[in-house]
Amino acid sequence: MKIRRIQNSLIRAFAALIVFTIVLLGALSYYFLQKTLIQNAEATTMQLVSQLNRVIENYIGYMDDIALMAVNNEDVRAFMRSPANDSPSLRAKISSSFDVIRSVRKDIDSVFLITRDGRAIAATQRSGLNPSVGLTDRFKELEIGVAPGGASISSAHVENLVDDRYAWVISLVRDMRAAPAGGSVGLIQVDLNYEVIASLCRNIQLGSSGYVFIVNRNGEIVYHPRQQLLYGNLKSERISDILALHGGNLSTVVDGRGILYTSVSSPETGWTVVAVSYLDELFGMIREAEYWFLMLSLLAFVSAIGVAYFISTNISHPIESLRRAMQSVESGNFDIDITVSASNEVYQLARDCDIAVKKVRDLIAQNVREQELKRKLELQTLQAQINPHFLYNTLDSIIWMIELGEYERAIDMTSSLARFFRLGVNRGAETISVKTEIEYLETYLAIQKQRYKDKLSYEVSFSPDLYDRQILKLLLQPLVENAIYHGIKNKEGPGLIRITGERRDATMIIRVSDNGVGMEPTQLGALTNGQIEPSRTSGVGVRNVQERIRLYFGPDYGLQFESTPGAGTVATLRIPAIGGDVN
Amino acid sequence: MVLLFLAAAVLFAGVLTILYRGQWPFGPGAEAPRKAVVIFKTIDYTNTPFWGNVREGVISAARDFSIDVSVRGTTSESDIAGQVDIVRKAMEEKPDAIVLAAADYNILVPLAHEIRRRGILLVCVDSFIHSDDANVRVGTDSYEGGQKCGAAVMRYVRPGDTVAVMSYVKGSSTAIDRESGARDFLKDKVSLLGTLYSDSDADKAYVQAARLIAETPALRGIVALNDPTARGAARALAESGKTDSIALVGFDNSFPVLKFVERGIIRDTVVQNPFNMGYLGIRAVRELLNGKKPQPFINTGSIDISKENMFLPENQKLLFLFPAAVDR
Repeated sequence: MKIRRIQNSLIRAFAALIVFTIVLLGALSYYFLQKTLIQNAEATTMQLVSQLNRVIENYIGYMDDIALMAVNNEDVRAFMRSPANDSPSLRAKISSSFDVIRSVRKDIDSVFLITRDGRAIAATQRSGLNPSVGLTDRFKELEIGVAPGGASISSAHVENLVDDRYAWVISLVRDMRAAPAGGSVGLIQVDLNYEVIASLCRNIQLGSSGYVFIVNRNGEIVYHPRQQLLYGNLKSERISDILALHGGNLSTVVDGRGILYTSVSSPETGWTVVAVSYLDELFGMIREAEYWFLMLSLLAFVSAIGVAYFISTNISHPIESLRRAMQSVESGNFDIDITVSASNEVYQLARDCDIAVKKVRDLIAQNVREQELKRKLELQTLQAQINPHFLYNTLDSIIWMIELGEYERAIDMTSSLARFFRLGVNRGAETISVKTEIEYLETYLAIQKQRYKDKLSYEVSFSPDLYDRQILKLLLQPLVENAIYHGIKNKEGPGLIRITGERRDATMIIRVSDNGVGMEPTQLGALTNGQIEPSRTSGVGVRNVQERIRLYFGPDYGLQFESTPGAGTVATLRIPAIGGDVN
Repeated sequence: MVLLFLAAAVLFAGVLTILYRGQWPFGPGAEAPRKAVVIFKTIDYTNTPFWGNVREGVISAARDFSIDVSVRGTTSESDIAGQVDIVRKAMEEKPDAIVLAAADYNILVPLAHEIRRRGILLVCVDSFIHSDDANVRVGTDSYEGGQKCGAAVMRYVRPGDTVAVMSYVKGSSTAIDRESGARDFLKDKVSLLGTLYSDSDADKAYVQAARLIAETPALRGIVALNDPTARGAARALAESGKTDSIALVGFDNSFPVLKFVERGIIRDTVVQNPFNMGYLGIRAVRELLNGKKPQPFINTGSIDISKENMFLPENQKLLFLFPAAVDR
């Protein structure tokens, strides 16, 4: 669980960091890219538009040069001054000089001369002047826009002065005076082929659908590639806003599309050249950049997760194996080597853990050894206690007999005692066979029988398959002693002690029962706990038995007393049936 | 495990790159170019500049709405079989849309049905067909145009005068509608003569008009319902010398018609907006392709042009074709 969390939190942290970085970088680069693109577009378009404006100014300049040339021509002046000078030869001369201009400059559609009195000459006499046009009316129309002695430029219009011809042109009209002070006598009109201006504008490429248009100072369209759409209200331009700018850039939304207007105004022509760039086309590059950015982001994200996974695995794997080792230690298995395949702090930690576990293991082993030693010492002490105890009891009896003069019995008892010790009570072994223990017991009972005579009778019956089993030595004697002193001795009349042994599975059950006076429960408890110092030495013996069993066989075994006051006591001894032939 | 991760990332990026191939899959430029075949009544732009103007509108819109267009047509307006062939071939190319100016009101109906059956969009411009197969119709309301002709002639004749109506192709939808518009407007005001059909032939119209003028001394007005008919009638009228007593009202604006207007032989001509027809026809295709529903009939309107208003700036653009604009 904890290991997962290390890995997950690492990956989560990496992912968050990467996403944060990507979003920040993306926003910043988007902002700067957009800004740069707009600035670049503005600069480039402004350059294009200025250049176009200069070219147009040049054209208009040429037209004015031609008009001035015509105005200063002596033939023209003569023709205009008076109808009296009018002659077919003069007309032919003027017309052919206009034709020369036309043939030299293909962009000039035509040159006209119109006088106040309604006489006119056209450059081309191919089909003559249009009879439908009233020349005096036309003079008046043209005169309106022209300052005295000056020139004016029209917007694009259809010229119908020549018969059978409707040409799209831009006209420059120059006023001519007979004398510096006199009124206008005639006008020179130079028509520039509209296609010249239109193709100049058309040739400018601004993205895939951007374009250039021209308006004059009155806001009338001079050129617009979608002029019919403007008239049909299918399209609109922010013409008044553009004119108010007097040249410059304007970002706006027209017909639902973001537009960048870039315009240059010419004081000479009075025209404003306007470039229209569509922002969505300008930002096509951004879209591509977006794509690459997204792809790189994905790559960075995936690699970051990969690296996070790698690092977290590198950390969590050794920790995981260390954890498993420690879990094993927790459940009591100290016999392991904690080795971790890592070369960082975790390795050091694992090594330290290993040393600690090994130290604990050694300590435990030492403790076990010490406990064993202690137990042995205690047992030895207890064993050592039992021998004198028995000896004092017996010697008490012998003294008592000698005092009464019963020398024969004293002799018997002394010899029984001698045999008892000869049997090997004092030999070093902790355990003896059940058979030997029974012999001790019978010797002891024989001694006590001599002391208590008919007051004491006893029965010993052991299951024969117990004879070869091992038992702690002198385990039964204190119980019998207890039965005599606390049961039979204070009883009126004879008493019986019965000692039986049987095996139940792997357990040996030995019972010592008497039909003596029995014990009160408090007395019984004191006897087994050893809390109340029992009278004389029998209590010491019983406690000794209990402690020895516990020390040698563990807490699962021991001694139990059942007693009924007035009816007798049963001591039940339960020890494992060890040793001997199991079969 | 880490190598696997990196390999997956590289693979992923690779797949994206292959998918990209110079095209950003989510941008507006990603869709494949849409194709439309545009079929006019004729591509003889010198004789009928009307179609040159339609073409200019088509090409402008093609650029504005990113549609690949191919403009086709016969060299003669009366070559109905030729147009049927062109439509059939166009269908085989499986374009996204066919924009059709039907040469005949009835003959092209089964073809229109077949176009729709094949899942091709059909937009009719200028002249329509006798069926509901067209997704959208874009053009002049011809009945209204006819009425304008009637109104124009009424400015020059007195009530009860004799007026003749000269139509062009019997069975063409525009001819039928223009004639009924003119007749409905005039029938209670003047005495109307029976309709003549020029078959869009200026020479035939000239002969018909010359006879009409010669045989009907009471004639005070002529309504000529299309450009060649107006041209022929104008020539006959000019030759008869009765331009002051007979008012001729024409339709459309070819160079000769305009010249006759300027000379005062044709008093008025009702002019359509061919540029807008072409432009709005293609715009309708784009809207249909984008899943929008444009209105089923888009009226591009018509205006009455006379000598007095023909050189107004807003009318110049409508009447006179830019010299090089057609070739753009």
